[in-house]
Amino acid sequence: MAEVIRAEQLTKSYGQHRGIVDVDFSVEAGEVFGYLGPNGAGKSTTIRLLLDLIRPTSGRLSVFGLDSRRDSVAIRKRLGYLPGDLRLYERMTGADLLGYFGNLRGLDGAESGERLAKRLDLDLDRQVKELSRGNRQKVGIVQAFMHEPDLLVLDEPTSGLDPLVQETFYELVAEATGRGGTVFLSSHVLSEVQHMADRVGLIREGRLDLVDSVENLRAAFTHVEATFAEPPPADAFAAIPGVRRVEQDGAVVRFAFEGEIDPLLKALARFHVKALDVREADLEDVFLARYRGEEPDAP
Amino acid sequence: MLRNVALKSLRDIRRGFLWWSLGLAGFVALIVSVWPTVHSNPGLNKLAQDYPETLQAFLAFGGAVDYSSPAGYLGIELFSLMVPLLLLVAAIGTGAGSIAGEEERGTLELLLANPVSRTKVVLEKTLALVAELVGLGVVLWLALWIGALLANMDISAGHLAAATLSAVLLALAYGSIAVLIGAATGKRTVAIGLTAAAGVAAYLVNGLAPLVNGLDVPQKLSPFYHYAVGDPLRNGVSFTHLGVLVAIAVVATALAPWFFSRRDVAT
Repeated sequence: MAEVIRAEQLTKSYGQHRGIVDVDFSVEAGEVFGYLGPNGAGKSTTIRLLLDLIRPTSGRLSVFGLDSRRDSVAIRKRLGYLPGDLRLYERMTGADLLGYFGNLRGLDGAESGERLAKRLDLDLDRQVKELSRGNRQKVGIVQAFMHEPDLLVLDEPTSGLDPLVQETFYELVAEATGRGGTVFLSSHVLSEVQHMADRVGLIREGRLDLVDSVENLRAAFTHVEATFAEPPPADAFAAIPGVRRVEQDGAVVRFAFEGEIDPLLKALARFHVKALDVREADLEDVFLARYRGEEPDAP
Repeated sequence: MLRNVALKSLRDIRRGFLWWSLGLAGFVALIVSVWPTVHSNPGLNKLAQDYPETLQAFLAFGGAVDYSSPAGYLGIELFSLMVPLLLLVAAIGTGAGSIAGEEERGTLELLLANPVSRTKVVLEKTLALVAELVGLGVVLWLALWIGALLANMDISAGHLAAATLSAVLLALAYGSIAVLIGAATGKRTVAIGLTAAAGVAAYLVNGLAPLVNGLDVPQKLSPFYHYAVGDPLRNGVSFTHLGVLVAIAVVATALAPWFFSRRDVAT
């Protein structure tokens, strides 16, 4: 498969802010790449480098095999962008805004934008300043998707959307990848990334900590939820081999563990277990287990 | 009006344009309507010519202080200060807003996600500035011409156009400098402040030069000198001096994309 994005030793330093340091990753055509990390970790920095809004201090970044700086216009022709901090022209209507960007992109007519707006239940005749946060976000989504770009760069795309619209948004992303499109998605909502992404990269303090497929990450951990007849003592499950995280909620105790389940089962058996649920871990379990209570997704 | 960045930028300033037009035309009407009174009062000219030299230097536009002819009167009342001031304020506002304004409002990020180069964005926005100033120039000239007809002023439409053109080009020079500073820094207030300060300094240097030793050379560098020295209300267009104003605008416009393309866009 062709590489759509390739970052090599990508570094961006700002004066006093932290940027990103030696970030290496690649995104293949047709995949959804989830870019995770706490705020300020460097997600938006990476995205703004992709758009050539800011320039790397060192390292290389290529998109569609083109240089992110030199060939930026050619890259942006095939790219749709939804910023994390979306700012639209307040005094334009949605239709005018889409018409303007459509003209800059050389689109014929407003048909695809109108179709998307209809699916998202967005009124294009109202001025942006009259729109709610959710409706503004819809305008942002439409302008990112309307030219059916080969690469979608989406920074916190579902913020402000109600659950029903989120579902439509997931459909749009699935249709985009169905056409062979690639999605670079930043989010702090792990359930959403788990739902959409094929692979994830986790960035912390400007460094890319891990890149792996969602499948592998989830397979590495198992989630166990045990319901006891009465709440066990708080320290009952300390220091069991393989257990990475314990969370007690009265008589219900949740574990994330890796490796064999036997030591945990033996420990559970010392008490009266009323119910036991064993399943593959969520990304959230994985990250919480991995970073031991450090919030990788602190809002 | 949404075909490209230039037209969209013009559309953004359409309300401002309307108010500036009304303001300019109204001001011209006011000044012209007083002409018959001034004209029939020769004492006023005598008084003005007794003013201290400093004051005369600032009052006159190009030639000597003279309240007795339409050219002298319009020079003193309109072109020595108020017309360039109004046009400069409009030009600097538009110029500073063109890149830095969008950047501060955050809309530049989405605009630059489209396949348009930064050079194209800054040049098209400069084009919108040129169109705005040409439009204001036409309004100003029409107001002057109609006013002069109604007030029976003996001055040619061509000379009124020459003075208007000088003022438009002066404003364009400063407007382009504001675009340049805004494009280089991304900060609207910096662009407005620095350009306005440069304008005031150039105005003072030009006005004080006849009275202060050592200002001869700096005076030649002042855009206000080239704006006025040809005395366009009496002599028509002076291509050499207007050429200097155009050159300032051209250099600033050439530098703006260079600086804009080489920096990070603010969040």
